[in-house]
Amino acid sequence: MFAAVEFPPIENIVEWPTWFGSGALAFNKIAFMGFIAFILPVLLFLIASSKYKTRLVPKGIQNVVESSVDFVEKQIILPTIGPDGMGYLPLLLSMFLFIFIGNLFEIIPTAHMPANARMANPLVLALITYVVFIGAGLKHNGPKYFVSALFPPGVPKALYVLVTPIELISTFLVRPFSLAVRLFANMLAGHILLITFSVLTISLVGGGILAIISPFSFGMLVAFTGFEFMVAFLQAYIFTLLTGVYIGGAIHPAH
Amino acid sequence: MLATLSALLAEAAEKKETVNPVLPTTNEIVYGAIFFVLLLIFMWAVCLPPIKKAMRQRDEQVQADLEAAERANAEAEQVRRDYDATLAEARAEAARIVEEARHAADVRRGELIGAVETEVAAKRQAALAELEAQRAAALGDLRDEVAGIAAQAASQVVQQPLDAAAQRSVVDEYVNQAIAAR
Amino acid sequence: MSTLSHIVHTVAQQAGEAAETTGLNADEAKAVAGAGGAGMAYGLAAIGPGIGIGYLVGQAVQAMARQPESAGQVQTTMFLGIAFTEALALIGFVVFILLKFV
Repeated sequence: MFAAVEFPPIENIVEWPTWFGSGALAFNKIAFMGFIAFILPVLLFLIASSKYKTRLVPKGIQNVVESSVDFVEKQIILPTIGPDGMGYLPLLLSMFLFIFIGNLFEIIPTAHMPANARMANPLVLALITYVVFIGAGLKHNGPKYFVSALFPPGVPKALYVLVTPIELISTFLVRPFSLAVRLFANMLAGHILLITFSVLTISLVGGGILAIISPFSFGMLVAFTGFEFMVAFLQAYIFTLLTGVYIGGAIHPAH
Repeated sequence: MLATLSALLAEAAEKKETVNPVLPTTNEIVYGAIFFVLLLIFMWAVCLPPIKKAMRQRDEQVQADLEAAERANAEAEQVRRDYDATLAEARAEAARIVEEARHAADVRRGELIGAVETEVAAKRQAALAELEAQRAAALGDLRDEVAGIAAQAASQVVQQPLDAAAQRSVVDEYVNQAIAAR
Repeated sequence: MSTLSHIVHTVAQQAGEAAETTGLNADEAKAVAGAGGAGMAYGLAAIGPGIGIGYLVGQAVQAMARQPESAGQVQTTMFLGIAFTEALALIGFVVFILLKFV
């Protein structure tokens, strides 16, 4: 009955053909999304900062830019790192915008593919987070950082047999993977969800009498598109927030 | 678990030629890293500083404006208080002047009433004195006349003139007794 | 736990039987077993985090209702907790993808 449209094989929904280049420099749709996610914030910020020369009261683009800066400052840096973490604003703001714009392609018509549903971007960002939070710990606490991270103070001596391996694994091995996998799997799941409902809607339309329930399927598709917009924002927020938490934990090991 | 997972992934990738949806591809890692690092550098060096500067500048300006408004408010409050104080002073002055005038009027009235009263008392005194004098005079006259009549009547009775002066003392005594008895 | 192994065993057995009775080759038999295992993997992986996130958000709402002035902080912590809990379900989802499509 559903033979009209079959669920596409997985490589058709996540793999994209090369536009130009080859090998390690093959430029495809995902790379193009990365380019957009890079160039769009830069342009917005440049336009906004050029407008400050004539007008100090924000308007239009300036509001967008300022609210993103404010959001990262007030919702991410202050609760996780504290006031002394403002130096990490460029990193966290870049991370937030890069992930958010990459995610938004999931629901933008004609793109319909989140850049972060490929493992590449989340992995790169998670590794950068890994390097940055270890670097922050070393910078603020010196080599003592590893000691306080592996042997948390206030634990009975005998328990270190148990605590230290757990801390080693959870802090220095699992963190980047869980960070990357969280973002990647969320976006891939959303992507597959939307594809499932699209395919189901098309199949139902061509499925004779079953066409009458296709509006419900289509309604679900629309609803999940809205839901995925929320997920796109939330995942960018959570990724950045966790980066902030890791950096904050490295800077203030006492907590 | 994750180590097992990645080992599994690597094994699967080696064994088969089909694409693995979970493993990242090299080209995407390269481009993702390039664009993210570019974004980071641009944010750090070019994009964010002017925005932050403008925001800080505006915050400072707003703060300054707020403080200026606060100060102007305080000044206005001060002016109002001064004005109120002046007003209260003027009101007190007016009340004082009215009070003074009333006091002066009271004093003046008291003086006038006192003067009139003394004058009236003096006039009454004078009238009373005159009345007394007239009554004394009338009494004197009457007494003389009574004495005369009595003497005349007595002389008529005794057929000889009586010593008017001697009789007079008797009459006087009698009259005085009559007055006292009355 | 024995129920779980029983289910898995049954699925594998079914796959083997399917291969024997329908004459599938090894790859096809693996695909059949993989599809069954994938569904199982994701379904089982979703149970715990589902309960966990429900409990977590419920407690967070209670905390916010009791102390609305600390709602922002509770919300941040709630998102962190959701992120950590959700990771388990997402690893299950990745396993699903691996079993189903690889």
